[in-house]
Amino acid sequence: MRNKLKMILSALAGVLISMGPAFAGPNGDVRSSDWQIWLQEPASPTADRIVAFNGQLMVIETLIVIFVMGLMAYIAYRYSAKNNPVPSKTTHHVGLEVAWTILPIFILVGITIPSLKHLYFADRTPDAEMTLKITGNQWYWNYAYPDQNNLTFDSIFVPDDELKPGQPRMLTVDNKVYLPVETNIRLLMTSADVIHNWAIPSLSVKLDTVPGRINETWTRIHEKYVGKTIYGMCSELCGVNHGFMPIAIEAVSKEDFAKWVKQAQAKFASDDPKANVIVRLASAKVTR
Amino acid sequence: MANVRQKNAKTAVVLFSVVAGMIGLAFASVPLYRIFCQTTGLAGTPSIRSQAPEKATDIDFKVRFDANVNTELAWKFKPLQKEITLKLGEERLAFYEATNLSDKTITGSAVFNVTPLKIGQYFVKIDCFCFTEQALRPGETVQMPVSFYVDPAIYEDKNTRDVKTITLSYTFYPVKDEQKVSAVRPSATPGNKG
Amino acid sequence: MANAAGAHHDEHHDHYPSFFSRWFCSTNHKDIGTVYMFVAMFAAIIGGGMSWYIRLELAEPGIQFIQDKQFYNVLLTAHGFLMIFFVVMPGTIGGFGNWFVPMMIGAPDMAFPRMNNISLWLLVVALLMLLISAFVEGGVGTGWTVYPPLSNSIYHPSPAVDFGILSLHLAGASSILGAINFIVTIFNMRAPGMTLHKMPLFVWSILVTAFLLVLALPVLAGGLTMLLTDRNFGTHFFDPAGGGDPILWQHLFWFFGHPEVYIIILPAFGIISQIVSTFSKKPVFGYLGMAYAMAAIGVVGFVVWAHHMYAVGLDVDTRAYFTAATMVIAVPTGVKIFSWLATMWGGSIEFKTPMLYAFGFIFLFVVGGVTGVTLANSSADLVFHDTYFVVAHFHYVMAIAAIFAMFAGWYYWIGKMSGKQYSEIWGKIQFWIFFIGVNVLFFPQHFAGLAGMPRRIPDYPDAFAGWNYVSSIGALITAVGTLLFFVILIRTYASGAKAEQNPWGVGATTLEWQVPSPAPFHTFEDQPDMSGKAPAE
Repeated sequence: MRNKLKMILSALAGVLISMGPAFAGPNGDVRSSDWQIWLQEPASPTADRIVAFNGQLMVIETLIVIFVMGLMAYIAYRYSAKNNPVPSKTTHHVGLEVAWTILPIFILVGITIPSLKHLYFADRTPDAEMTLKITGNQWYWNYAYPDQNNLTFDSIFVPDDELKPGQPRMLTVDNKVYLPVETNIRLLMTSADVIHNWAIPSLSVKLDTVPGRINETWTRIHEKYVGKTIYGMCSELCGVNHGFMPIAIEAVSKEDFAKWVKQAQAKFASDDPKANVIVRLASAKVTR
Repeated sequence: MANVRQKNAKTAVVLFSVVAGMIGLAFASVPLYRIFCQTTGLAGTPSIRSQAPEKATDIDFKVRFDANVNTELAWKFKPLQKEITLKLGEERLAFYEATNLSDKTITGSAVFNVTPLKIGQYFVKIDCFCFTEQALRPGETVQMPVSFYVDPAIYEDKNTRDVKTITLSYTFYPVKDEQKVSAVRPSATPGNKG
Repeated sequence: MANAAGAHHDEHHDHYPSFFSRWFCSTNHKDIGTVYMFVAMFAAIIGGGMSWYIRLELAEPGIQFIQDKQFYNVLLTAHGFLMIFFVVMPGTIGGFGNWFVPMMIGAPDMAFPRMNNISLWLLVVALLMLLISAFVEGGVGTGWTVYPPLSNSIYHPSPAVDFGILSLHLAGASSILGAINFIVTIFNMRAPGMTLHKMPLFVWSILVTAFLLVLALPVLAGGLTMLLTDRNFGTHFFDPAGGGDPILWQHLFWFFGHPEVYIIILPAFGIISQIVSTFSKKPVFGYLGMAYAMAAIGVVGFVVWAHHMYAVGLDVDTRAYFTAATMVIAVPTGVKIFSWLATMWGGSIEFKTPMLYAFGFIFLFVVGGVTGVTLANSSADLVFHDTYFVVAHFHYVMAIAAIFAMFAGWYYWIGKMSGKQYSEIWGKIQFWIFFIGVNVLFFPQHFAGLAGMPRRIPDYPDAFAGWNYVSSIGALITAVGTLLFFVILIRTYASGAKAEQNPWGVGATTLEWQVPSPAPFHTFEDQPDMSGKAPAE
């Protein structure tokens, strides 16, 4: 009985999940597409689990809604004043009341147990091969690679009138953050000013950057996303340009990542940290 | 009627004192939250003890170091080592370096936490530059030490056993109230626990 | 207020005070309730107008109307504050609560009539201050959650935020005084024989709500005071630079904020229970279960607050606890839904406008409730936090559901309040327009949220254009439905048919249907005696 139920559930969930790849973004990029009605395609082990779990949840919830709607439709027809002129006097039924208290508890326990497993999986701290440090700023992201000789750069929104053909509006940044695929990456997050949130839907990563403290999570990008750009947006109201600090990750092979690090170190090396500080102080004054 | 009035007044007094109590609780939550975080290690709050256990284990463990400076503070601040490999229970010393980039003496103080957040109680600081405020003369560079160990109990707790690496992070902020600043310390040199 | 003039030549011989002292210095629970509802409708026009302006901006990608992005943030912040503190709370608690709690328990008036007046006018002042704050030097663009550091003096230096905080202080004080008044009235002023277990469920809902207010609002007041001193007097409660912690604000805010959503929805439960029972011509099924389900929701509501903070960086065990605790809430809410269905089961249902709204409420509440189960999972929250899925969820389960309960209550009680009955056919048309409107408005937001669209942004990637366009069309339909409601309201007062003492027949058993319509200035000539009678409902 339980196995059968599980089979039906996972079959139904399978239908929903199979819709996932249908929502691969335009140009093979990992972002949402027109009229999308489901989660973005999962690009990390955590996202695989969350998308599947959400599929199961949605099946259970849809069934509950259909059940209640069905009851309401039946009641509206069968017990309308026309069809049932004399109301019954029933106001208690212990069995029924116990049933509708106990049954939801079983359903909820059935949801909570896998949910907590996914939660602990997403929090698991696997032996990370590299670290990416993310600092939220009003209104751009700063990325640092402490294991790559502390390579540091800012990633700033590209406004509509500066877009090149093919670049998606509202999501394009000047410097993408490069990450190797099939690599456990430790993500450290903090903020230089207010609370931001570094969120990548297809990686199931969503964590606040809080000033004065550091948060940690992890991710691992699937191999098949080599050469693809994975997009996300700031997900905590952080002031005027909250909607205009997108995140763009370029997923690359480990070899290409090593090459990129060399190039990037040359490119961003000219940034004098002292000059940087002064520039930021000045910009901080202007924006306030 | 008079009876009801008295009763009403009595009930109202009780309710007003509940309101007052809840306001008091809101303010009491400030120290309570701090104490709660310190005793349970919640939100990655490290423990503070006076000395490390006498015997270290032989389990390897990594501690990484991270540094941040608030935009209002014209300092450069970085760890002098990216990471340390140590044994659980072994006391170690690590250094950070701060440089005052401005032409004024500036005082800063550091806030800190460790990640993963769940291991706060197992990361133990014995002494740290962050316990006091730091004043830097114009252009001055100082090295600031922190001594710590990782409690071997981390390996016995099934929730934290999977953790092999801890990141220790500091953020320096300017001290706003200049009156409270202690004199420029002569002790901010390697080897001295500040 | 049209009835003020007409009331003088009515058949009952109440002596009404002059216009000014009747409406401004009122100590009469019914008049105060009327003014509360007037305030709620006024705020609803402004708060609703703001949301329609937001949807207008979001109808197409790109910036169309709101060039100043700070103003966009001000709009969404003010929309939240207005709808929560100045529409739903004054409407359900201040309006219907004041009108019908004393009547339903057979009390002559509230326990402290003068304090009732203070509550009312504190709220009006708070509303004015909030409206001022939106137009002072850039306004409050922090979201209704006012998270520091964004709300502190560095990132929001203008006095607008201080105005906003003081406005919330006043609204909070108003609600606390009102809540104390309700608790004292319900505890001490019931008619003989009206035991707690005989009280109508609407009274129960207000009682539980009042306790939530008394326990939750002082915490907000404390937190706001700390925010105010952080902003103006150099304290560091929430400032990491001085050893404070911005996350502490979030804990304090949501310790208040989560009970607040039950403060919004519990009175709606009460109204819907009365209506479902009346139009099914049956007493409420499982009365005690219903009453104690509300109490249980109130209690559990205090231990689930951090499910609003899953993304902030809580350690994993904390999130596991809050996931499990949040799931528990689905049990008593399930009991409520099934009890409403069982009340209707076997009934003889008349689909008058209030009953249509009750059906609509149950539909919205179930849809919003199941998405709430999704959001309760800290794991699933990794994709849903701060997306439009959350926006769709809370508008379904609490915001629009509460508005449905208010419409239901208005159609149900307007005869008793004004002495005039609404037009049934126009009421039904208004229901269907509004029902279709809100569903077209909010259902597509589930899809936008699943696809990853964040909240609180004035412009979005082009992929979200489709569902946002549909959603904005829904907003237009909702606007038509709302305007039609105001037309019906004016027509009812101007030319509505005279309301009978009990227009709803045998199902309407509570005490307010045993006094004339409109309810006389002094409700009861003799105090009713409920000894030996069955539970009112």
